[in-house]
Amino acid sequence: MELTHEGGRPGTGGKQKRINVGLQERNASMVGGAALALSGIKSIAKKRFLPGLAQLVAGGMFFYRGKTGHCDLFEAAGIDTTSAAEKGVRVEKFLTINRTPQQVYEFWRNLENLPRIMRHLESVQVTGENSSHWKARGPGGITLEWDAEMVEDYPGQLILWRSVGDAELPNEGTVEFREAPGGRGTEVKVSIRYYPPGGRAGTAAAKLANAISAGQIEEDLKRLKQILETGETATAERTSAAQ
Amino acid sequence: MKAVCWHGKHNVQVDRVPDPQILNARDAIVRVTLTGICGSDLHLYNGLVPTMKDGDILGHEFVGVVVELGSGVSNLAKGDRVVVPFPISCGDCWYCQQELWALCDNSNPNSFLLEQLYGDTGAGIFGYSHLYGGYAGGQAEYVRVPYADVGLQKIPEGLTDEQVLFLTDIFPTGYQAAENCAIQAGDTVAVWGCGPVGLMAMKSALHLGATNVIGIDRFPERLELARIHCDAEIINYQEQDVAETLHNMTGGRGPDACIDAVGMEAHGSGIEAAYDTVKQSLKLENDRPMALRQLIKACRKGGIISVPGVYSGFVDKMPMGALFAKGLTLKGGQTHVHKYVKPLMELIATGAIDTSFIITHRMALEDAPAGYRLFNEKKDGCIKIVMNPRLARGAAA
Repeated sequence: MELTHEGGRPGTGGKQKRINVGLQERNASMVGGAALALSGIKSIAKKRFLPGLAQLVAGGMFFYRGKTGHCDLFEAAGIDTTSAAEKGVRVEKFLTINRTPQQVYEFWRNLENLPRIMRHLESVQVTGENSSHWKARGPGGITLEWDAEMVEDYPGQLILWRSVGDAELPNEGTVEFREAPGGRGTEVKVSIRYYPPGGRAGTAAAKLANAISAGQIEEDLKRLKQILETGETATAERTSAAQ
Repeated sequence: MKAVCWHGKHNVQVDRVPDPQILNARDAIVRVTLTGICGSDLHLYNGLVPTMKDGDILGHEFVGVVVELGSGVSNLAKGDRVVVPFPISCGDCWYCQQELWALCDNSNPNSFLLEQLYGDTGAGIFGYSHLYGGYAGGQAEYVRVPYADVGLQKIPEGLTDEQVLFLTDIFPTGYQAAENCAIQAGDTVAVWGCGPVGLMAMKSALHLGATNVIGIDRFPERLELARIHCDAEIINYQEQDVAETLHNMTGGRGPDACIDAVGMEAHGSGIEAAYDTVKQSLKLENDRPMALRQLIKACRKGGIISVPGVYSGFVDKMPMGALFAKGLTLKGGQTHVHKYVKPLMELIATGAIDTSFIITHRMALEDAPAGYRLFNEKKDGCIKIVMNPRLARGAAA
């Protein structure tokens, strides 16, 4: 099973064209495009047909590009002026765990286990057959909450969850479990995407999203491996207070 | 409790520090009864290993008595005398299950450091910098031992601490180095470095069936031990040309296997040595591979180079051409101690091999600062120092 989201927010439905124009530029495009189209209409009214038509078409294209965020020319040239926050923070990590895919799946599927391995999660509560409520801790003591639904659930193979409704930090994640060759256990692939929304609420969300770096997810996965393989997490601290 | 703590280059002190605690269910607390200074501790002492912090407790060769057990350990009891392997290994990851204990996936909480440095992590190690987990070491009165259910091995009645102490590191290290040589009857094994590891390697090579063993060093007392205890032919590299002598001793063939028990702080003479030493002090080259270069040149075609000596970074001018042209095999790595403790303990118990002959100095834990200096400078015929936490300062057991 493969997930082929590339840009575009979850829940917007259908295959979207990639957003590759930054917000400010999009606004400028819409305003400029509208102005150009208007001037094109005026030209046509003055019986200057060709220039008028050209302006109308060009204006329309700029307006469209601003509205949708997708520019064919940019795509052709490989240009992308969106910022990381607009694309969302995307993390993809791989790890091999010396347990069967079913065993690793079962630990993860019990979502209430996740705070044991993902340090930024304060709690995950199962609220229904496919729904859950998540609480995360960010830098500076900020807390964020959201509801999520289990979208795909193939035991021993794949879990896909997605935040729903008006989430403070929209996100989606998949975990795939594949048998590793030669009796080495399970190859785990984790893909998580966070989309910090704009506005003041978005700042806290953006901070949290940035804090959940690839390095952190990697350390989280190591904790998963240690717990499943050895029953505990490794520490070299001197005292329990320091743990 | 008292512990030997690192405070910078050439600066170790015995400090009062808090006692260790049980943190995880599979932990044990061991009261140390005997502990050694290892040649690799000198790399820490000489400031060559990064990520040391002021106050870190040193030591990875220690035996003792179990005084406390976590709730998850059922195969041991308080009061058991135990040998503690220097790598910390979980026993559950693929590597541990393959008996590659020193490559444990799980025991290094700072694994990201070695992953950056080398591409992947090894097992955590007692008292060997934060690269290897930052675990408190065994040159102390008490030590917290993780994964004690797989780590600790009971010492049978009738064997003294001095007889078994080297099962923690150097005897398995020498043995693994010799085993890696795939020794066959008729083989000549040459060992660079007649320090404790080299001596253990020579003994092991003989035990594994080598016909001839050759020891190379510059300190007469070390060469003597090799000659007397390991039946070795000896070469003093300050008096003889090593390459030529090895060539002559082996009828022009070269040794079938060569063991580098010297590592990154190799000492040499001449322009080559000056090059490496200058570059190392300017931090342009981490390791000084004079011994390793000699090994590669001297080894017979199709032979094996076995490297138990510690290297930490990069070396210049590695004779890759010679390695390729002569079809050599290079094997190296940290010792998978857990695999060897039982069988080697057997050899000691039956009297087949004795390792305590290498001990030249016995002192109190509190005399560690003087001990490190002595060992580093190789003065007073020093070959191996062991320390007893219960001895009073200045006493010699």
